[in-house]
Amino acid sequence: QSTITWRMQTYAGAALAEHVVKPAIDMFNKIAGDRMQIELFYADQLVPTSELFRAMQRGTIDAVQSDDDSMASPTEVTVFGGYFPFGSRYSLDVPVLFNQYGLDEIWKAEYEKVGVKHISAGSWDPCHFATKDPINSLADLEGKRVFTFPTAGRFLSQFGVVPVTLPWEDIEVAVQTGELDGIAWSGITEDYTVGWADVTNYFLTNNISGAWIGHFFANMGRWEELPEDLKALLTVCMEQSHYYRQWWYWGGEASLRVNGDKMKLTTIPDAEWQQVEDAAVKFWDEIAAESETKAKVVEIFRQYNADMAKAGRPYRYS
Amino acid sequence: MSYEMIAILMFSTMMLMLVTGQRVFGAIGFVGVSAAMLLWGTGGSEIGFSAAMKLMNWYPLLTLPMFIFMGYVLSESKIADDLYRMFHVWMGPVRGGLAIGTILLMVLISAMNGLSVAGMAIGATIALPELLKRGYDKRMVTGVIQAGSSLGILVPPSVVLVLYAMIARQPVGQLWLAGVFPGLMMAALFILYVVIRCRFQPQLGPVLPPEDRALITGAEKLRLLRAGILPLVIFAVMMIPFINGWTSLVESAAVGALAAFVAAVLKGRMTREVFENSVRNTLGISCMFMWIILAALGFGAVFDGLGAVRAIEDLFTERLALSPWTILILMQLSFIVMGTFLDDTAMLVIVAPLYVPLVQALGFDLIWYGVLYTITTQIAYMTPPFGYNLFLMRAMAPPEIGLRDIYRSIVPFVMVMVLALTLVMAFPDIALWLPDHVYNK
Amino acid sequence: MPRFLLAYIRWTDRFNRGVGRIAMYGIFLMMAILLWSSVSKTFFTPSLWTLEMAQFAMVAYYILGGPYSIQLGANVRMDLFYGDWSPRRKAWFDACTVFLLMFYIGVLLYGALSSAAYSLGYFGDAPLAFHRDLLIAFVTGGPDAAGEMLGFLERSPTAWRPYLWPIKAVMIVGFGLMLLQALSEFLKDVATLRGVTL
Ligand code: NA
Ligand code: NA
Repeated sequence: QSTITWRMQTYAGAALAEHVVKPAIDMFNKIAGDRMQIELFYADQLVPTSELFRAMQRGTIDAVQSDDDSMASPTEVTVFGGYFPFGSRYSLDVPVLFNQYGLDEIWKAEYEKVGVKHISAGSWDPCHFATKDPINSLADLEGKRVFTFPTAGRFLSQFGVVPVTLPWEDIEVAVQTGELDGIAWSGITEDYTVGWADVTNYFLTNNISGAWIGHFFANMGRWEELPEDLKALLTVCMEQSHYYRQWWYWGGEASLRVNGDKMKLTTIPDAEWQQVEDAAVKFWDEIAAESETKAKVVEIFRQYNADMAKAGRPYRYS
Repeated sequence: MSYEMIAILMFSTMMLMLVTGQRVFGAIGFVGVSAAMLLWGTGGSEIGFSAAMKLMNWYPLLTLPMFIFMGYVLSESKIADDLYRMFHVWMGPVRGGLAIGTILLMVLISAMNGLSVAGMAIGATIALPELLKRGYDKRMVTGVIQAGSSLGILVPPSVVLVLYAMIARQPVGQLWLAGVFPGLMMAALFILYVVIRCRFQPQLGPVLPPEDRALITGAEKLRLLRAGILPLVIFAVMMIPFINGWTSLVESAAVGALAAFVAAVLKGRMTREVFENSVRNTLGISCMFMWIILAALGFGAVFDGLGAVRAIEDLFTERLALSPWTILILMQLSFIVMGTFLDDTAMLVIVAPLYVPLVQALGFDLIWYGVLYTITTQIAYMTPPFGYNLFLMRAMAPPEIGLRDIYRSIVPFVMVMVLALTLVMAFPDIALWLPDHVYNK
Repeated sequence: MPRFLLAYIRWTDRFNRGVGRIAMYGIFLMMAILLWSSVSKTFFTPSLWTLEMAQFAMVAYYILGGPYSIQLGANVRMDLFYGDWSPRRKAWFDACTVFLLMFYIGVLLYGALSSAAYSLGYFGDAPLAFHRDLLIAFVTGGPDAAGEMLGFLERSPTAWRPYLWPIKAVMIVGFGLMLLQALSEFLKDVATLRGVTL
């Protein structure tokens, strides 16, 4: 019996993939052995990231790791992928939202409609600004060309931010060549891992979301061809990668804020930042008005955040 | 099929297709998409096109048509004539002086455009007939023009370094600055070669006869110096805002193209014919490059997705068990060998994604490697059977210069280039000092 | 040579030349967009759309200009042997190998059609049938009937969010013209072999 081989492409470049996906795939390959091997490809390696969804749907690529937004997924839930402004505060919020508040079923159903298997959702880092010039007030955001997620960009443009989308691997260079003034794409761990800390000088501690939501997907046909035990093994390895990222980011964020020497920290006062949080409430309404599915998801985010606020410390401190 | 087998099969089929003389992009594209149809599995038919989307996302490629246009405006409008006159008058009294002046001319032209096409055109149409008329050795001057014009891709701005930057994901600004001193050093080595040759064989580069020199007054000589200002202005208008981050890379390229255009208009050289030729040739050459890049990107993705890249990496890193320097030297040699008979752009797009991660893993600096890579490309441009400069020289040279002369003319210059390559390998600071200094790394 | 083939060569070349000569001025469009980008960045708020618009212009430039560049003979060949051959021999080889070129462009065209079908909301495995049905709907029922067939319209995942079908349509047209041009080149080679002067 010949080895099943899959091609998987991640949204992440090689340096980041070393943490967010490679350990899980290496582990899978080691256990599955001759039965199945997954070849991992990095950002834009086989197809550009904006074509990832399409390539997976057509079977050019068998599996994908990405958020909904970056891979331009044609589903109703795309807008929540990556960073949904103020949708979550901590990285543990994501698995709870998916496993206890029903997002998982919604995602699986939405992707099934477009011929793609949603395997599982994972939690990444919070969303902060890393910029060449310091940001001390909302006025400093005005006119900044910033690489960010489409949805976050749409939200931030009301504060004068000019969102720019470029291939992920080109960001570091684009900051150096002046195409970008900064990045609102990750927490400080990625800024250091990817090399963005070398080209920016300041890190804004206020965040617009507590955790990025990323997913593993597969071409539906290829997924269904797999024997049950390999499906289970693949799921387990991906779940394990979620766990790895939980501590890698959580610990990394704190450690680099305290010990990192490449970026200076700045903060916008809470009272002023409240304007951004208030804008998010309006933004949620706008999104909810777009469709039934979106309204359902927004309602879940609302319910969840209300529950957490009621639960009090340590879930929420204000 | 094993990965090694796929690698060998794809490369050898591509070579075979190229030998038939079909257009380079057609040959490469055909091998890429047929391998995908046969070996990829589901969805293989989409990869050829997905390369077009990838190319669209490679926004720095916008510099390509800009620099090509800039080069054509400079060469078609003949605003370089004055420059040539300047060097002619100032360098004429020296042995081999006109050849040395031509090399200096090429350095200035290199600073105003990103390819070697413009230098080649200017050299072959303005300098070459003059030099032949003055009794210079035809082989030496043919070589001077080919070698000198190849500096266009090493001295900033450079399209080859933009392409490399996209593949290696390195900042173009630093790469460009890294090319400055190696470019000047290479020009100096060319000059040194001419000086030494002419010292021992003065008949190769006779001095300008005294009666010619008497025709030129001191005031005239000073007036001609002003011609040197134009390239400096164009270079500054383009590079200063870029290095300071006021304009982005692609914007700077547009500024440069506009500057050259405005200069030609102000000097009254932008005739209808010049305009037509510049615009039409820009389309032709841009299309040539873009279609080759499109085909090579598709080929590269298929090559990578079928596992051939892994096979080659394994070969270098594990099977051969060589030291990093040996691997680096082998890679340079393979580049030179492939460059002699392969299309240089296609080679960059296909081979660089394979070598760059390896170079990085071996712990070498990718900016420095970019310069090494560019020098090898320069060599590839000139060496038969396949080279852009070679094509151009054959098309533009006057009838008394035969194919044999062209082939023979490059030999000493290729040797000088290999020497330059070795020097930059041995002393990386030749390339890295300037970018480190400017960007305070 | 049959007269209609000669007419085909003449009309294809003339049409592609016209398209190419329009595309040729795209260099100024790209320049204008990029210059506007730097002006707006310096004096006003930077524009969202400039870089992406310039990318679209670049794609239109080289794909629509492709057939004309073939006419101009701008596409390099490796002429190790080719360069020394007689015109007849060149024509023989070209007449055979141009089919490889056509195959490549055909695959590109298929990919573009498939990708364009996706950008119009078709997620199935038969993009060609979708385009055929779309065309039939348009011809028989007008824009409304065609509109009925569309689904989720793909947008670029950027803040500007332009629809992607227009640029994909441009690519389809470009690849199509390229195929026609390749056929014309083939016929010209056949003419050379038959000793017909065009
Ligand atoms: Na240059
Ligand atoms: Na060569």
